[in-house]
Amino acid sequence: MILVYDKSFEGFLTLVFKVYYEKLKPIRILKEMPNELFLDDFIVIENNEEHSQKVLDALKKKFSKDNFQRILNIFMCDSKDFELDLLNYIIIGFKNQKELANINNSSLFNILNIEKELFRHIHKMEGFLRFEELDDGTLYAKMQTKFNVAFFLGKHFFKRLNNQKYIIHDINRKIAFIKNDNFLGIQNIASYEEPKLSEDEEKFKKLWSQFFQSVSIESRKNDRCQKNQVPLLYRTYMSEFYKR
Amino acid sequence: MKKDIYEKMDILANSAKYDVSCSSSGSDNNYKTGELGATHNSGICHTFTADGRCVSLLKVLLTNYCIYDCSYCVNRSSNSDIPRAAFSPRELADITINFYKRNYIEGLFLSSGIISSEDHTMVMILRTLKILRHEYKFNGYIHVKLIPGSSNELTEQIVNLANRVSSNIELPSDKSLKLLAPNKTKKSVLQPLKFARDVSMEKGKKPIGMSTQLIVGATPESDKDILKLSSALYDKALLKRVYYSAYIPVNDNNKNLPSTITKPPLVREHRLYQADWLLRFYDFSYDEIVNDDNPNLDEELDPKTFWALNNMSYFPMEINAVSKEELLRIPGIGARGVQKIINARRFKSLDFEDLKKLKISLKRAKYFITCKGKYQKEVPFYKDVIKTAIIEPKKKKIITPNLFDLAYSNITGEL
Repeated sequence: MILVYDKSFEGFLTLVFKVYYEKLKPIRILKEMPNELFLDDFIVIENNEEHSQKVLDALKKKFSKDNFQRILNIFMCDSKDFELDLLNYIIIGFKNQKELANINNSSLFNILNIEKELFRHIHKMEGFLRFEELDDGTLYAKMQTKFNVAFFLGKHFFKRLNNQKYIIHDINRKIAFIKNDNFLGIQNIASYEEPKLSEDEEKFKKLWSQFFQSVSIESRKNDRCQKNQVPLLYRTYMSEFYKR
Repeated sequence: MKKDIYEKMDILANSAKYDVSCSSSGSDNNYKTGELGATHNSGICHTFTADGRCVSLLKVLLTNYCIYDCSYCVNRSSNSDIPRAAFSPRELADITINFYKRNYIEGLFLSSGIISSEDHTMVMILRTLKILRHEYKFNGYIHVKLIPGSSNELTEQIVNLANRVSSNIELPSDKSLKLLAPNKTKKSVLQPLKFARDVSMEKGKKPIGMSTQLIVGATPESDKDILKLSSALYDKALLKRVYYSAYIPVNDNNKNLPSTITKPPLVREHRLYQADWLLRFYDFSYDEIVNDDNPNLDEELDPKTFWALNNMSYFPMEINAVSKEELLRIPGIGARGVQKIINARRFKSLDFEDLKKLKISLKRAKYFITCKGKYQKEVPFYKDVIKTAIIEPKKKKIITPNLFDLAYSNITGEL
């Protein structure tokens, strides 16, 4: 049996409800109807607010704070097929919270590893995200990330750019974390224009590239090591890697 | 001619680059509402240089003018043909803030050549810090290289404003220092560190984080001398980190130093860091790693494997029975692996398959462990055999049968 849901958190919670009350045993969970042909039955989950709310309340009641947070975190890893493992995680957690620490179970081990991958990705982006100063002083960063990390980054930069206005724009997911005098949080961005940069922007980019060039030691050059540390994927918006 | 800011950046970043310390970790101050900057406990790397080193801090010299004449240093006073430059405190503070806002850096790593006198140099550094902390309300990371021989009052003020201070010992013995850095002594280098610790302890807070750097390969000291010194510094809680820097010859006119055609001893540096980790996180003492019979670290084997091969009586260890401390001694299994084993064996007794499933690397570990009493079968438990197996792992043979390979067809009857 294959279940199909609509990618949303509510959709997944409805799925959990159905699995429990209709005793379903899915072998796969998909985010959309596949193009290929499968021999198994398909069930398309229709979102149901009442059912998803029930599951959410139960999760909050039954799961410890960390274990519950983990479910939300895993959901941010939208480019991974985590659904079946997360379903197992929830089923095991409802039976016995202590059992969730048993990493011999491959579902639980996978969930922990996906979460670790998420944290690693966030940590990398905390370092590699680049802001540009706009002419009104707002700091603006574009990014294309494998997971949905805008909220985590927004929280991180709230501490360090506390007296600044900033926007962290996730181009692919069409959302942005915005902090200004009137708003703090995630917003949908349907379309956007390239904003105008401040006068100083060019100068500091150039200084930064100069610094970057000057600190590397020619006799210890190691391209492969550099590529391992900053994979090309991350370099799109890192100006020090632009060819001049 | 006045130099433009890009030239200055080039010169002053260039002359600071041989200082390896660039970590921003280990200090977690909370942000203040309405101010700029916060530190992050794990440290953050913002990019990596072409030589693969993490860039976390804006690491520059305030100036590379210097009255000292240390043989190993590019900025020595007798090097008359190198370009010299200096940032003004205001200039440097502005660059730091603008870099920080764009998320290029975690903060500033400030060091300097000695310009006119030790105290004068420290005053300039202090001025930069004051602009950053008081005027710009900057709470990000600041690391200052203390100037040996400057006054206590100035050191105290710096310690109060910085997150971390350091003073480079550079050479592990007084004799080498005298030979290569005639203006420095071990005492004059360590004195500011001791003073800084006392000042920060007085305030009843955690002592300020401090680090130092040792140059490797410029002078004849053995790894034993170096690790003995590091371990003494860690034991006295004087330092958080010791950095090791493979000596890269930069001056060619001193017969006491390797010439500029010598390659830096990178493997040795790597092994020293591995040994340093054993001292700090694995509860090893320096004389377990190096002793009079083996004063230098083995280049072919990492220090933990080397130790294990010389202490075969502790092995093989039963993965399901031994303590956490013992698990930490197994070559190839690190702190994370140990944690996974401990978590997993609460639920069941582990075998080799379970370890593989937990993604624990068995490449080296398999020679030193048993799982439920079983030892791996390929390599017998003898020191020399294991050593060979680790250094030269057997390549898997890829057999491609070929039409004219008679040996094949004879045995199997097939082509």
